[in-house]
Amino acid sequence: MNPVIKIDGLSFGYEFGDSVLKDIYLEISPGEMVALVGQNGAGKTTLVKHLIGLLRPPAGKVRVADLDVANTRVSKLSRQVGYVFQNPDHQIFHDTVQAEVAFGLNNLGLPREEVEPRVTAALSDVGLEHLANENPQRLSRGQRQRVALASVLALRTPVIVLDEPTTGQDYQERKQIMALVEQLNKAGHTIVFITHDMSLVAHYASRVVVLCQGQIILDGDTREVFRQTDKLAESLLLPPQVTVLANQLNEPLNTSVSPVILSVDEMQEYLQRVREVKRNGAGD
Amino acid sequence: MTTSNNSLIQLNNFSYQYPHTANNALKSINLSLKKGSFVGFAGPTGAGKTTLIKSINGIVPHFEGGTFSGEVLLNGKAADTMSTAEIGRSVGTVLDDPEAQIICLDVEQELVFGMENYGVPPAEMEQRMQKALASVGIAHLLGRSTASLSGGQKQRLAIAAALAMLPEVLVLDEPTSELDPLGSEEVFRVLKQLHQEQGMTILVTEQKTDLLARYCDQLVILREGEMVLSGTPREVFQHPDIFELGVALPEVTELARRYYPQAEPPITLDEGVQFCRNVIQTFGG
Repeated sequence: MNPVIKIDGLSFGYEFGDSVLKDIYLEISPGEMVALVGQNGAGKTTLVKHLIGLLRPPAGKVRVADLDVANTRVSKLSRQVGYVFQNPDHQIFHDTVQAEVAFGLNNLGLPREEVEPRVTAALSDVGLEHLANENPQRLSRGQRQRVALASVLALRTPVIVLDEPTTGQDYQERKQIMALVEQLNKAGHTIVFITHDMSLVAHYASRVVVLCQGQIILDGDTREVFRQTDKLAESLLLPPQVTVLANQLNEPLNTSVSPVILSVDEMQEYLQRVREVKRNGAGD
Repeated sequence: MTTSNNSLIQLNNFSYQYPHTANNALKSINLSLKKGSFVGFAGPTGAGKTTLIKSINGIVPHFEGGTFSGEVLLNGKAADTMSTAEIGRSVGTVLDDPEAQIICLDVEQELVFGMENYGVPPAEMEQRMQKALASVGIAHLLGRSTASLSGGQKQRLAIAAALAMLPEVLVLDEPTSELDPLGSEEVFRVLKQLHQEQGMTILVTEQKTDLLARYCDQLVILREGEMVLSGTPREVFQHPDIFELGVALPEVTELARRYYPQAEPPITLDEGVQFCRNVIQTFGG
């Protein structure tokens, strides 16, 4: 299958300093759910801004849905890729939640009878239908984040990029948002999300791309990436607490490689297996 | 709750309602904090964490308006009778969105802004500025424009600007919300250091409960405007009701609480390793 996102040797620097992205190569296939992680300042947001035309890559370097981002109008690109900003206040400007979510749809030139049901559906997806007539500025930060998410969901673009979608959300809301994103992924949307929450990565991403000082230093299956503890430490990232816990226990099983634990449930299964191995060993 | 003389911050039956809203954001809060406390506040969004922080630095009710009953006392004095300038001398504030807090074009201006307003002599400003920047690890950013900083750097700048005011109390509203894991750890290390070396009183709201577990002396859980649990992090995470309160437990605690409810749950990674060793050694069961 042709990649839906193809980045071919992209480098970039803002005017005031060092290069932020160095020679990035990345291919993402349709239907993937990719977490983009790295320290503050690693270049994550700068990278995804090249996918939506907010930063213009040199010609031929970045393609999204077979469009060359360098010379495609943002209005055309925005039918293919939706972007949820890290700070919802960079995105929200209407004075009702409903108008905010309808804005992008109206821009696409959709008829009113199509806009309304899409707005209602998107607000219901993020649990804000009861606040449709509120002014977004009166909502909490977490709620505003969900308004921003709804306005992108409503566009139903094949690719959705989310920059720290769970900032300012509590535990339950984080799970709800990610469950929603997972559902979109299962419905066929390609998802790229930036996050600092390694538990979310462990639970929801099938692939992890680690950026460190503008370079991709790890890219692969989530479990394999979390196995690379040295490389992760180099980019100053910490795997989830249970992953570290299993590493520190360092209890071998009857397998050649030690398992990488990604959740509390997996940790419990691992403990049971270690106990079995010990029990059998003790019986010999 | 009785009024004790050595409370730095005391809330007596404090309730508060924002203008144009139907419900109280805070409901009969009673809280007494001594000088030198390091207190974490957790709870779902809408629980009242930010409002509680704002009640202590005077933004509630001075700027927000609304109605309240009961009282907030700072060093025994009712906060609503003090000007925000007076409150600002003892309470430093870090908001959850650094972009809403940072107003100057460069890092140096941002740091001196507060000090200028309080008439700090220029010679002292320089010294305080250097110390504040160093304590959050961004001394190298002094000449930078604030717009060029990353989210994490902005968050640290906001903390430094509050520290430059030499506050008695530092209140922080989700100061690590945009920081990576190690950046978050660093912020709490800085807070711990301020707490230990300068005896600073720290009040912090935070979603990352593993940080609260390791750094705070006291943890308060809020829900729907009410204070529902308060105690040491250990007491709170071991409380039978914690699962229903919408607070994420550290994963080691969750593991123990879910699968080994009879045992005393660990609250830190090190305790978790010991806990799992014990589980393995007991074989069956």
